[in-house]
Amino acid sequence: MITKTRNIPDGKSELKKLPIVHHKEAEYLYFPITSARCPEGETCVIGGQFVKVGEQIGTRKASFFEQPIHATASGEIVGVEKHRDHAGKLIDCIILKNDQKYELHESVKDRSEKEIEKLTREDLVTITKDMGLVGLGGSGFPTYIKLNTKEKIETIVVNGVECEPYLVSDYELMMNNPHEIIKGLVYVMKAMKAPKGVIAIKEKYHEIKEVLNFALKEYDDFDIQVAEVGNYYPQGWELETVKSAIGVTIPQGELTAKYGVLIFNVSTLVSVYQAVKHRLPVLERFFTLSGEGIHNVNFRARIGTKISDLVKLAGGYINEEIPKVMILGGPMMGANTTSDDVIITHTITSMIVLNDKEYFEEPCIHCAACVYSCPVKIEPVQIMNALKSGDPEALQILQVNKCIECGLCSYVCPSKIHLTEYMRKSKKYLREKGN
Amino acid sequence: MQIIAKTSPYIRKATSTKRMMVDVLIALIPVIGFAIYKFQFDFILRALVASVLAVGLEALAFGLMKERDETWKDRFKKYTINNIVPPIITALIFVLTLPSKVDYYAVIIGITFAIIIGKMIFGGLGRNIFNPAGIGRVFVAVAMGGLMGSYVDNVSGATALTNTWSPSLLNDFSLVDLFIGNVPGSMGEISALAILIGAVYLVVRRSADFRVIVSGLLSFTLLMLVAGLGLKHEGMDLINFVLYQVLAGGLLFGLVFMATDPVTSPYTRPGRLIFGLIIGSLVAIIRLFGSFPEGMVFALVTANMFVALIDYKKWTTNVYTKKFIIGYSVAIVVIAIIVFLGTGGF
Repeated sequence: MITKTRNIPDGKSELKKLPIVHHKEAEYLYFPITSARCPEGETCVIGGQFVKVGEQIGTRKASFFEQPIHATASGEIVGVEKHRDHAGKLIDCIILKNDQKYELHESVKDRSEKEIEKLTREDLVTITKDMGLVGLGGSGFPTYIKLNTKEKIETIVVNGVECEPYLVSDYELMMNNPHEIIKGLVYVMKAMKAPKGVIAIKEKYHEIKEVLNFALKEYDDFDIQVAEVGNYYPQGWELETVKSAIGVTIPQGELTAKYGVLIFNVSTLVSVYQAVKHRLPVLERFFTLSGEGIHNVNFRARIGTKISDLVKLAGGYINEEIPKVMILGGPMMGANTTSDDVIITHTITSMIVLNDKEYFEEPCIHCAACVYSCPVKIEPVQIMNALKSGDPEALQILQVNKCIECGLCSYVCPSKIHLTEYMRKSKKYLREKGN
Repeated sequence: MQIIAKTSPYIRKATSTKRMMVDVLIALIPVIGFAIYKFQFDFILRALVASVLAVGLEALAFGLMKERDETWKDRFKKYTINNIVPPIITALIFVLTLPSKVDYYAVIIGITFAIIIGKMIFGGLGRNIFNPAGIGRVFVAVAMGGLMGSYVDNVSGATALTNTWSPSLLNDFSLVDLFIGNVPGSMGEISALAILIGAVYLVVRRSADFRVIVSGLLSFTLLMLVAGLGLKHEGMDLINFVLYQVLAGGLLFGLVFMATDPVTSPYTRPGRLIFGLIIGSLVAIIRLFGSFPEGMVFALVTANMFVALIDYKKWTTNVYTKKFIIGYSVAIVVIAIIVFLGTGGF
């Protein structure tokens, strides 16, 4: 249809009703030594060694930063095995046999309020770095790099939008742990000397607004507001959230810090709270199994839990004779996986299992629904044509690199052309051509 | 369990090209109904001949335009409903723009030209640069003017828009007749009411972009207003003149059913406004300074030629920039001045 599309049926109302299963009995926990951002890594434990919760068991290394790996349970290290990561690659994982006691490591002890009061920007950078905190919204971008800015920060925006369909992790977090979010925000505001905090949530979530506003009554000293933003997709894209929440337009490709704004996902702030207050790394996260091909369950699971274990716990797949598509993350931007042999890491929020539907690509009829719907105001169809005719100059002029791969162009196309894939190919083509 | 590897996004909106095409057919129903009521078998037979021929020719061309070593079965693997509904639409629109007594020979030649030269030569659905029905109509008008049958209706001795300078038709018919379609003229173009019902359906269903219709209609109305001021008709007030110009002839039909064809319109919102402006002003200019009753299709086909230019990579954008707004306004003013001067306004 020749129109701008922003609303995607999200199927969240059923998911929100599901109870949360707190899964603590994982027999084995797995810790990938490398990740997509960190191609190298090493362990500092040996087989048979006993480790405790919060103890560092290895380090992931990337070209410009390092990330410690922490044990999320206590028990014995039993070896190394290959499992799949977010991108479907087989990677080495340290195996920890869980003794179910969850003994805390000696380094894990609470900071007093007085200590927290004195934390500076540098201290916060060190803490988040030592605890290996990353953006939990899905980017996996190291939090300390975001904090380590020289700019003057005016506003901290908290992203609780979660605009992707079928995801309720952030929703559950805001409903269940509002104080941890707000405390995390307060710590960041204090350390960054930011006078203002804004929590962005979807307009339609009145219940979250109530919960947050009620919790906020205890934090009168701070200027923290709940901003209701649009229900549309991709409202959760950070520039869109900032624009809707505080009215600051940040050009694409620029750091938000330059405009005095820092934006964090709600779950990232909870991890900041845990790291600052309890000296704990991220131990658990909400994990949703959803989609029509699987029994839907909301889990609260330890980092390192294998997804196939959770699938078994949930009751397995539905209609196994129908071919399935498995997605880690949301159905619009999530990563594809061909196996459920995946380890829950910081950035894996959900697994969606859909019955496979094959789309037959019809010719483009120039309806321009993709052009109308594009949130970054580029023209997917023209880029596709430029790619087909092999014109790198045109791709450059049409600004394909602005594309955030939100998936809307493919979603809206009445001819079912996979435009988002063409965008990826175009970017790759441009890189190969050396532009 | 079989697991399929795919790339994001994994879900799709419940729309389809097929549905958009069928929507156009549905929107044509009032116009077709009126044509059947008014012209009976004159219309039905011509429409049938054209439709059958269009579908057949498209299928033939579809089969021929494949690799030499493919078997005939393989060639039609991708033959879908989208190779059947669009040629029917083309055929119906083409016939609806013709006068009722047109020779069958002209119908056959016109639809053949429309499907083969207007569409399939470019590669079929989605690749053509000219509106197929439009180009077929232009071909018939230019090459076979003699076979068109008389525009002059036996009853009235005149047809809408034979001489635009003095809309003599209004002496015989009222504006209400013109609106309902109680006048002589091409089969689908006479009833503004039927066309508007179709237009509302198309726009509500979002199967057509209202920007082309609105931009075309407004620019045309404005220019006719200016022309009316310039002409200073005796015995006819300005409002009647403008309304007459809007309702008579193929303007409404062309804007609603031909100009909104997405394949031959630009990709962007500003582009579609410009496209509408080009059509609206060309129709006005052809009506005022030319003598072709087919002004609408000429304007459309000419505007189709500008689409590639409007969509040129260096300036195409879906944002209403300041440059666009200024350019668009200046263009309207300039054309209005030309029309005013041309009609002897000074």
